[in-house]
Amino acid sequence: MQEKNKEFVPEPGTCLSWEAKKAELEEVPGKEEIVKTSWDGLDKQAYSFIWWFVQR
Amino acid sequence: MTENKVEALYQERLERYTTAIKNGKPDRVPIRFSIGEWAPRYAGYTLQEVYYDLEKQKEMVEKLMSNWDLDTIRGIGFGMIPPAMIDSMDLDFYHFPGMNLAENQSFQYNEKEYMKAEDYDEFIANPTEWVLNHYLPRISKEFDSPGSYRSNLALIKGSMAMQQFAGQLKEVNQEISRNLGFAPAIKGITKAPFDSLGDTLRGMKGVLMDIRRRPEKIKEACEALVPHNINYGLITGGGDTTIPVFAPLHRGAYPFLSPPHWEEFYWPTLKKTIEGLWEHGVSVTFFAEGDWTPFLERIAELPEKSIQFVVDQTDATQAKKVLGDKFCLIGGVPTTLLSYGSPEEVEECVKRTIDELAPDGGYVLDTGSVVMADARLENIEALIEAGRKYGKY
Repeated sequence: MQEKNKEFVPEPGTCLSWEAKKAELEEVPGKEEIVKTSWDGLDKQAYSFIWWFVQR
Repeated sequence: MTENKVEALYQERLERYTTAIKNGKPDRVPIRFSIGEWAPRYAGYTLQEVYYDLEKQKEMVEKLMSNWDLDTIRGIGFGMIPPAMIDSMDLDFYHFPGMNLAENQSFQYNEKEYMKAEDYDEFIANPTEWVLNHYLPRISKEFDSPGSYRSNLALIKGSMAMQQFAGQLKEVNQEISRNLGFAPAIKGITKAPFDSLGDTLRGMKGVLMDIRRRPEKIKEACEALVPHNINYGLITGGGDTTIPVFAPLHRGAYPFLSPPHWEEFYWPTLKKTIEGLWEHGVSVTFFAEGDWTPFLERIAELPEKSIQFVVDQTDATQAKKVLGDKFCLIGGVPTTLLSYGSPEEVEECVKRTIDELAPDGGYVLDTGSVVMADARLENIEALIEAGRKYGKY
């Protein structure tokens, strides 16, 4: 948990991209493309939720 | 009307509107109008009812606008402000009819210095993290102790409310297009970085003091905001390259900032944001409320067709002269006329505006700023009828 909370600066447009998450995993046994599409899609929604409060 | 006829009407209106916003000449002047707080009383609803229930907004549009011969509307969702999210997070910065205000009171934005001067460095270093971990707890009474039961609950409910609202809004917009044939006017939102900083983070007083006390911090913060404002526009607009992203612009109106301050603090990062979106093929509706006359020559430096410039109190003749060759112009009808004028005055104004701004195309008829709650229905109908009467090419 402490490792995850180390200073992490997400790229603009993301909160925690699939690429950042994947770097923490040993392997992705299933089809990575399916996970990536799902993960990044939800990440965009989270990003737009967070930034909604600023972009009023 | 049959489904096929409505679909044909939708395509015809979409073609008309998108031709004009690319500075082309369609068959006639497109007419755009916004649904807003002026509408509920004419449809028999309170403000609170339509804010909380998008289905009632759809019914309101169908009651009022079914027979209106206009091309595109905007404003469904009343600014994409989900009341359930405001309530569940108990947001300090918005007060709505319902939990905080009487049922027919206009919503209020409670501007404060939520971001302090000492926050600049942390914000610049990691904007998204700062907004989530520091800004949200300051503006949300339910989320003021991150990690607690109430705060965790507020975050869950708030994000669910946003998703629920977004889904309902998409359905309502689709139904309105399907049933009434109106094309969408805008899709997504972005802002000038200086406005992102001054509207919701530092507040007007804070950011104007910063110009004197810490000008370099403003510039650094605005530069840090550029990629976020580009991405926010892309994500909320779905990357659509047909319909523009909407940019409500505030402190850039003269004389909020002196021209030298506008040049130094406001323009550079707004320009970068617009150019960044245009690199993806996304244009911006440059909602220039107020007077932007002193800045037209600089705005003209933007890439051709990258914006549609909305004429409010800006000198319309100058806007046409300086911007008309490169960009579509929208608006030119004062919103105050709809509240305090007569139908005859509205018709005269529409004719004059079309004569001045519409020759050779690249013009969309609309008001130049937000239609206020006391706009009179007969004046709105006069605007639309005059637009059809005088808008033929």
